[in-house]
Amino acid sequence: MADLPARLQLDPDAVGRDLGRLVLTIVELVRQLMERQAIRRVEAGDLPDETVERLGLGLMRLEEAMTELREHFGLRAEDLNIDLGPLGSLLPQANDHD
Amino acid sequence: MADSVVYLYAVTDAAPAEERTDEPVLAGVDGVPVRRVVSGDLAAVVSSVDPTRFSEEALRRSLEDLQWLERTARAHDAVVAGVARSGPVAPVRLATVYLDDENVHALLDERAAEFTAALDRIRGRTEWGVKGFAVRSEGDTSPQVTEDSKPGTAYLMRRRAERDRAARGLQDAAEAAEAVHQEMSALAVASRRYQPQDPRLSGRHEEMVLNVAYLVNEAGAEALRRLVGQQGGQNLRLELTGPWAPYSFATLEEQA
Repeated sequence: MADLPARLQLDPDAVGRDLGRLVLTIVELVRQLMERQAIRRVEAGDLPDETVERLGLGLMRLEEAMTELREHFGLRAEDLNIDLGPLGSLLPQANDHD
Repeated sequence: MADSVVYLYAVTDAAPAEERTDEPVLAGVDGVPVRRVVSGDLAAVVSSVDPTRFSEEALRRSLEDLQWLERTARAHDAVVAGVARSGPVAPVRLATVYLDDENVHALLDERAAEFTAALDRIRGRTEWGVKGFAVRSEGDTSPQVTEDSKPGTAYLMRRRAERDRAARGLQDAAEAAEAVHQEMSALAVASRRYQPQDPRLSGRHEEMVLNVAYLVNEAGAEALRRLVGQQGGQNLRLELTGPWAPYSFATLEEQA
């Protein structure tokens, strides 16, 4: 094959990290949505105590797992976001308001 | 094509121009010294520029060249700021170019009333910018719910407290900013509100809740400085910039 210009220099590590970053961003979005919804349900007061406890535990574990995964990929909390241009960012800024 | 075309920076009073011969000559775009085209009580601050680089077509291309844009904007602003030091100045939009002095003359004559009104509005006054940022209250001040028996519930409650605190902080800041703006508007001759800038543009993490330009006289500027010095409240941090040439209050638009 003739020499093609080396346009795509795929660094396997970088690809893995970028993919990890994308997946984690989506998971983080879902996790935050679930957490907000859970808090609203708790506020509404229509959940039995044990359900609240189970929800809370689940969300807490999920957050811990997210932190571990993030660290595994060497990402900071603010790296898990997508700039949607005029729509702003996908997730609220790391230490932002809800 | 003519050897040069005329780049217009601003319109100012004609009168003081002759009085101050010791005034340093300002350098404009491409380092060419500026001169004044006088008609009646008005003077246009202009400089000659290369017609090939300032033709309509060349400009359209150049305006997308960020380096060119920055250089030109800096030169433009330096001239406007220089003129503002000695009198009222009504800036013209960046890269406003006329064919020759005659056309600038005609512009001054045609829109004399409008220019005079704009200059009267800003005479003896300066523009100041005030930006307000919501300050985040870091650290949890609410008592920790340490229910070891129910860690999941405690986690949710902690999350709820964080959410509420953040929302409250931002709302308090917005309300404080509104109060400050009311007070400052009363001091100012005119004010103009801008959209808060994106945190990435302003280069900080805090959310901008106030972005206003005020047109004030000497006393007003003093009062503005004092108000900003007092700060708006524990949730709001204010920043003052200026004095600026009155871009927000006297920029002359080209007529369609």
